[in-house]
Amino acid sequence: MPHDRHSSAARTIDPITLEVIGHGLTSITDQIDANISRTAFSPYIYEYKDYAVAITTATGELITTSTGGMPVFVADAVGMAVKDGLATYGRARLHPGDVIVCNHAGVQGQHLNNTVMYTPIFARAGAGAGAGAGAGAGAGAGAGDRDVGVDKDDGDDETAAVELIGFFAINVHWIDIGGTAVGAISFRTEDIFMEGLQLRTVKLWSKGEPVEDMYRVIENNTRFPQELMGDIAAQLGGCLLGRDLVAALANKYGVQSFFDVIEAIFDKSEAAVRKTIRAIPDGVYEAEAFLDNDGVTEMRIPIKVRVVIEDDEITVDYSDMAPQVGSCINSGRYGGGRTTARLAFKYLIAGDENANEGTYRPLKLILPDGTILSASDDAAMALYPIPFPTVIDTFIRALEGALPERVTAAHFGTYSSFRLLGKRPDGSTFSCTDSGHGGWGACATHDGAGPFRTMAHGDSHIIPAELQEALYPIRIESFALRPDSGGAGQYRGGLGIVKQYRILAPCKLFANFDRVDCPPWGIRGGLGGRPGQVTVVRSDGATEVFYKSEGLALEPGDRICVETGGGGGYGEPALREASLIERDLIRGYISQENAQRDYGVRAHSGARVAM
Amino acid sequence: MSHAVAIDIGGTFTDLVAFNRAGERVVYTKSPTTYGDFAEGILDCFRKAGIALSDVDLIHHGTTLVINTLIQRSAGRTALVTTRGFRDVLEIARGNRPAPLDLYYQRDEPLIARDFRFEVSERIGSDGTVIEPLDLSELSALAEHLRETSIESVALFFLNSYVNPTHEELAVQHLRQGLPGVFITASTELSREWYEYERTSTVCANAYVGPQVIAYMHHLEERLKAEGFQGTLHMMGSNGGVLSVERTCRQPIALVESGPVGGAIGAGIYASALGFSNAISFDMGGTTAKCTLVEDGRFSVDSVYYVDDYVKGFPIKSPVIEIQEVGSGGGSIAWLDAQNRLHVGPQSAGSSPGPACYGRGGEQPTVTDANLVLGRLNADNFLGGELHLEVDAARAALARIAQPLGYVGEEGLIRMAAGVVAIATVIMAGVIRRISIDHGRDPRDFALIAYGGGGPLHACSLARELAIPMVIIPVEPGNFSAVGMTLAEARVDDVRTFSSRLGEAAISAMDAIYNKMETDGAAALERDFQSPVARFERHVEMRYVGQRHNIKVLVASGADAAQIRHAFERQYKSRYGHADAKAAVEIQALHLSAFARIDHPDIGRLARPHSDTAIAARKVHFDTASGAIETRVYQRSALPVGFSAEGPAVIEEYGSTTLVWPGDRFEIGPLFEIRVHCNVTKGQSHAA
Repeated sequence: MPHDRHSSAARTIDPITLEVIGHGLTSITDQIDANISRTAFSPYIYEYKDYAVAITTATGELITTSTGGMPVFVADAVGMAVKDGLATYGRARLHPGDVIVCNHAGVQGQHLNNTVMYTPIFARAGAGAGAGAGAGAGAGAGAGDRDVGVDKDDGDDETAAVELIGFFAINVHWIDIGGTAVGAISFRTEDIFMEGLQLRTVKLWSKGEPVEDMYRVIENNTRFPQELMGDIAAQLGGCLLGRDLVAALANKYGVQSFFDVIEAIFDKSEAAVRKTIRAIPDGVYEAEAFLDNDGVTEMRIPIKVRVVIEDDEITVDYSDMAPQVGSCINSGRYGGGRTTARLAFKYLIAGDENANEGTYRPLKLILPDGTILSASDDAAMALYPIPFPTVIDTFIRALEGALPERVTAAHFGTYSSFRLLGKRPDGSTFSCTDSGHGGWGACATHDGAGPFRTMAHGDSHIIPAELQEALYPIRIESFALRPDSGGAGQYRGGLGIVKQYRILAPCKLFANFDRVDCPPWGIRGGLGGRPGQVTVVRSDGATEVFYKSEGLALEPGDRICVETGGGGGYGEPALREASLIERDLIRGYISQENAQRDYGVRAHSGARVAM
Repeated sequence: MSHAVAIDIGGTFTDLVAFNRAGERVVYTKSPTTYGDFAEGILDCFRKAGIALSDVDLIHHGTTLVINTLIQRSAGRTALVTTRGFRDVLEIARGNRPAPLDLYYQRDEPLIARDFRFEVSERIGSDGTVIEPLDLSELSALAEHLRETSIESVALFFLNSYVNPTHEELAVQHLRQGLPGVFITASTELSREWYEYERTSTVCANAYVGPQVIAYMHHLEERLKAEGFQGTLHMMGSNGGVLSVERTCRQPIALVESGPVGGAIGAGIYASALGFSNAISFDMGGTTAKCTLVEDGRFSVDSVYYVDDYVKGFPIKSPVIEIQEVGSGGGSIAWLDAQNRLHVGPQSAGSSPGPACYGRGGEQPTVTDANLVLGRLNADNFLGGELHLEVDAARAALARIAQPLGYVGEEGLIRMAAGVVAIATVIMAGVIRRISIDHGRDPRDFALIAYGGGGPLHACSLARELAIPMVIIPVEPGNFSAVGMTLAEARVDDVRTFSSRLGEAAISAMDAIYNKMETDGAAALERDFQSPVARFERHVEMRYVGQRHNIKVLVASGADAAQIRHAFERQYKSRYGHADAKAAVEIQALHLSAFARIDHPDIGRLARPHSDTAIAARKVHFDTASGAIETRVYQRSALPVGFSAEGPAVIEEYGSTTLVWPGDRFEIGPLFEIRVHCNVTKGQSHAA
């Protein structure tokens, strides 16, 4: 039997039962994830996967989360809300069939759109085979129970004694929850109250019945009631079905086996991560970077990260992080500080493990109050993740000396968001939001990848030009890789993109490009990538380059050239294989001037050059 | 006396099913797949079967050639020509990272590298108007350049061609003239749906495989003719229908899942013939398990398929029967990670070295080894005795992982073996649950039709896990993909982007397009198969306004807006549990499938000739709590229609073994299928 110093559960649980239940839990979150993606109304959910599905313990500790969601949610998007619910109601006032929602900034520390909905999971107390000692353990009535079906969603049909075993929780980006700006997203908010309705731990359903008053409150505090109520229905359906599936699993194996398995899952994940950390040389590692500004003032925002490795523990120290700002790129202690630390840790160190509470046990955080990642409860947070990509980049940079083979160069690291808001010739309004995909940093084994969105993003798709042209009065004149944007190195940084628009109807341009003054750096001797920029070419030929814009007026005939940043290079450029340089020249990833400047080579005269 | 034949070329074996139209006999043969020249393996099968090609009037043929060429990147020089400004669409793709926390994630390289991607001046607007005419002189200069660089194949993609394909058509014509012998293909020949990346990716894949598929088709036709074949050759399409050779040579990408769909078609036809309106097909081979949902004899057909999976691969906009797959098969390796956590798969021992019990040097324990140790497989009658299994090697391999987990002695070894099978079962049950729940269905309402080498062995365990009461093992589970191919109809699919709110105004426009699509579909069937259309199926892709994800709704010809809305809501509700009677609904795309009947064998006559064999017995482990149970062992070919017995039982045949659990009852049904009535109400643990 496996030996583990942390828990008696790990000594008694059968390794096969462990895998069978563990696999079952993961597949439940993935199933619900797929259903949410298909049933939701708002494009945030389907296109950006701006939601996460998770199961927690009865105390709100993360057991498992769906794979493939937004990285900002992987760190644990739901635990704080569940813990607030436990503190508010106590277990005694959490009943089967209750469904609770929370988007409170003081609890979750993110913009108010991120709303956690969760429901308690009850299983038959003492059901099943107890400690699960054998491979054939858990002989219960589970498989034959009709309650695993998808057609039933009433959870309070239990007459026997039931026991709270955990929560099924889904965090969804609600499309609009009031506030000063449509979708509650603008640089112009000054405190959280300008950003919309706060729901701090309120019951949406009680004992299997909808709380109609709460539905009315929500429906009348959004600009898009139809879409939001549709999304809420999808979120609710997912919570209830997920709850039933987990309950069926626990009933089948017995709650004691279920609890033992979860403890064992935590312990084993923790042990795996500790082993990885132990292999990193002890030391204090530091790095710093900065954001160009907060979007309103011109002041730089320093991002300083200290990482302490000591035996099998890692401490992320944000003591010198920038103080919270007047604009809305703040986040709270859990939604910001803890989330970025967990996320960076997961990217660089614990990548192979499914995220659960055990994975994060060896991770400690030092975070004073009042920083941009631990802002006060009333701070503006509409654009809270804006600093995240830079924070993660900086964490990785700090460990350059400790993990030379694992670190990557910086990625373009900015939202590079771009939006056109205007009226069509027929008078209807349009809002064309485009995503900034850029180059990622190179690593010890290959060139930087991309263009992708930032490390705070995940499986979000580029909006097709054919769709944009059909929906908005614009013409896309080109959509291409941006040569020379990736930093040189033994491995080259990934390339950004160039996208050219022709404006066909009057509109206003909103843009947010950062990491211009602190462009994506190279690592281990690699060179930096180029930052992004937006160029407007007026129909009279006048040209203007800028990085942030809050409503620049555009006229038909104007053209915009959006260029996104490239990633940094890894290793000395002199170490790059000649064949790769030649390939880059032939493919036009780098120009001849750059090849000469960065690598000191000239193209072979006979090289094919792309038309 | 003439034969209808199906040939399925798989990774290891080429399978042949020959059905004598006089109904006297059916012949099954297998021969190793011959990679140098696939025709050799095919002809070898005919020789083994003792069938002269002059006695064959119809061949249905499935092959993995297309998917292998795409995965192995083994094609010749291929170029892409696009609208100016858009040659990088193929490489930028959709910019998504399906592995969000993988710092080192990278997508597979594009099929066509940047220096083989070219641009020409032309532009169509989103409403179909010509903004800039196609520059033919540029195109001629480009053709010259392509000729000089010995390009074998050219893909064409122009932006917005889905609304107006004339520039693509003109460019195809122009390039074909300028580049004789070069394979030229345009995006709108394959898909009339919007989204530039998906169309570009599809046409590039088509161009990429084109020259090899054409060469193969010509070579095969020649070899068959030389042997006296005068009948018709059809290729198995991924959409579940067969294609003519001529269409195959234009749209080779339609063969991307040519092999695995055979079994799914067979399962669908079995389900209909046996009167099961709902069935799940389950195909377990050496490395993967695949399942498909069949409702009222119809498959769900995906309109996008990912080569080398969604995580790293690229999409093809071509109708493919929805098959969900998981890396769990007989060869799946059981292994321990650094924390002694037990995993099964997705790595597979494959056919070489294969499971430890094959005695070919495999040392890691596999699912097959576990089944052997449990007594579920017969060491002396595997593949009809062609391969003797080494029980000691299987035990030694399992002991290697049993020890670190604390499973010692004989009892520990049995528990280890049972655990490996239990985990494989949970993984496979997950994929079945996924495909049914994705469609809002409950697997308990379905019959499980199991085939492939491992399907019949695990079907009743799966049925327990999923509480499915009925398991069907069709004839020849080990050759069932080929069996299904003999039964396939001719099918032509067409899709058009049609973006409009659902309402009476949309209906007349929609009907006009459908009428045109039906005319085209009927003409295609007539041209390809000299056969009249048997039926059309219209599926309308729809969603609520504001949603991004569509569902496909079967719509009768002549349906009005209210009827379509009703069908949409019914399907939406069954799939997602809720529907909104007030929300506006919009149409996104129109799908048409046109079918023609092809004379196919009588499925009641597909069983092998009867043989008399003695019933044996051996000890088999089912539930670990009960220990080994004395179990009757039947030879399938000895069981007549109407035979019935109680479990436990093992039913052996060439290429597969069916395991019937204690408490189950089985019978031989009218199509010689094994029907197992699983005793699922007692809720036996799967973990046994």
